Amino acid sequence: MAAKKITVIISQSPGKNPVKRDLEETIAAALLLEPSVDVSLVPHLYDLTSDHSGMLFLKSVRGDIVLLSWLFPRAARWILDRNFVKGHAGVSLLKPPPSDDDDDGEDGDGGVPEPEDRPNALGGWDLPNRKIYCLDLRDHTNANVYLDEIRRIARETSVETVELLGWINGTPAPQQLERYLNPVDFLLNPAAKNGNPANGASLPPSGSPPTANDAANAAETTRRRWYPVIDYSRCTNCMECIDFCLFGVYGIDSVDRILVEQQDNCKKGCPACSRVCPENAIIFPEHKAPEIAGSETGTVTGLKIDLSKLFGAPSALEQAVLERDTELVADGRDAVGMAVGIPKRRTQTPQPRDALDDLMDGLDKLEL
Amino acid sequence: MNDDLEFLMGKYVARIPADRVYAANHLWLKREGDLYRVGFTAYSVRLLQDVYFLSWSLDPQTRVRFKQEIGEVESSKAVSSLYAPCDGLVTIFNEKLLNDPSLINTDNYGAGWLYEFETNADLLSPSQYVDVLAAGWEKTQQMIKGQMNE
Repeated sequence: MAAKKITVIISQSPGKNPVKRDLEETIAAALLLEPSVDVSLVPHLYDLTSDHSGMLFLKSVRGDIVLLSWLFPRAARWILDRNFVKGHAGVSLLKPPPSDDDDDGEDGDGGVPEPEDRPNALGGWDLPNRKIYCLDLRDHTNANVYLDEIRRIARETSVETVELLGWINGTPAPQQLERYLNPVDFLLNPAAKNGNPANGASLPPSGSPPTANDAANAAETTRRRWYPVIDYSRCTNCMECIDFCLFGVYGIDSVDRILVEQQDNCKKGCPACSRVCPENAIIFPEHKAPEIAGSETGTVTGLKIDLSKLFGAPSALEQAVLERDTELVADGRDAVGMAVGIPKRRTQTPQPRDALDDLMDGLDKLEL
Repeated sequence: MNDDLEFLMGKYVARIPADRVYAANHLWLKREGDLYRVGFTAYSVRLLQDVYFLSWSLDPQTRVRFKQEIGEVESSKAVSSLYAPCDGLVTIFNEKLLNDPSLINTDNYGAGWLYEFETNADLLSPSQYVDVLAAGWEKTQQMIKGQMNE
């Protein structure tokens, strides 16, 4: 019986940057020769609509997934989750390189970060028993770094395969196995038997190397999008976002959980709801600020001191109100300023105050 | 003639000239005809230290709102975005600084001015500004130490 393969999906950069394309294609070409890996290319994950063939393919994958994208792993994971490509977060050992200025060679806290304890978070739900590993293609320029990590993950997951197959408790029919191992052909190329590949399929036919041409074709079928992505491992369902946004982006599901209901109602470039989220759970993957785009830490660490607060930087809330007003006016509506949907600052503070709280309050008192 | 005020930052004496007004985001504004000329106070410069990069994100003759981001400064020790001190109109930028921002360090109250600005907003007197500095000094030191220990 064929060994189970791990599915590797490369989500391509939205632009046509040759350096990025080259990294994608080098990785894809190398993986085609790996017996334990099925590799596919899809257009930029964030831009895929739920019914795009690339997303349909992702939904069809049943086993573990390694997703390489030009996005922060948090962003990629929760975009997938929103599209019902669910799973437990696989832990990648790939880490962003330390910044240039980082001269402490000891790699002090550079290890695997402890998952933060967030007792009030909703967490993911209906997660199948599989893992999704998200790797950020911006972290390294050397394809081998990714290839080594993918091989490591393939080994790690093949150990668990034994249990899973035992759990299935039976021998799958050859067609079933084929469908499991090669869902691409099954789902995306229903017409392949007629020699007529599915329209706009973003994946190369199994066995032939992906080419820039495939990618270019795929790019035609997507447009750049802008919408929030909720990280449910942080979201506490506090509803600040639905109160604040006046464009009808947010809604609730049948069990009163917050969700991004109308993605395309969102105003391009506006990250205001992310700024009012008390848990920093709302990601705009394309925003220039790493903490809004889904960076794990939420702070840009550098050797230099940031004096912006002293020189009059607005608070996150002030900034959000400004951004919202700009979009309201652009829509021909009236600016509302601080009058609508301003967060009712949470009264329960589960964590004891620490020096940082004092520091931040001190800055606020300066009233710059 | 010297009615200038002083503010003590550790051992460093920040001079606060009496001939102009101030904004709480550590800028001075000095009347030049109908306009104000705007620059960094000695307090700002002391925190920034050697400025080697300054850029503006808007064109001259642009109307700005209080706290609107208008540019960026980088020095040997610090980076910061720059924000409008109040509602107003930025008329011109100091061209000389764009090539050589070191004038900010050598002559912050004179040739190192940043831009000219038209506004009707209420601004701080020198003594009010010194009060702002005194009220914030402890916290500012904490903030800087906090960032250095990260």
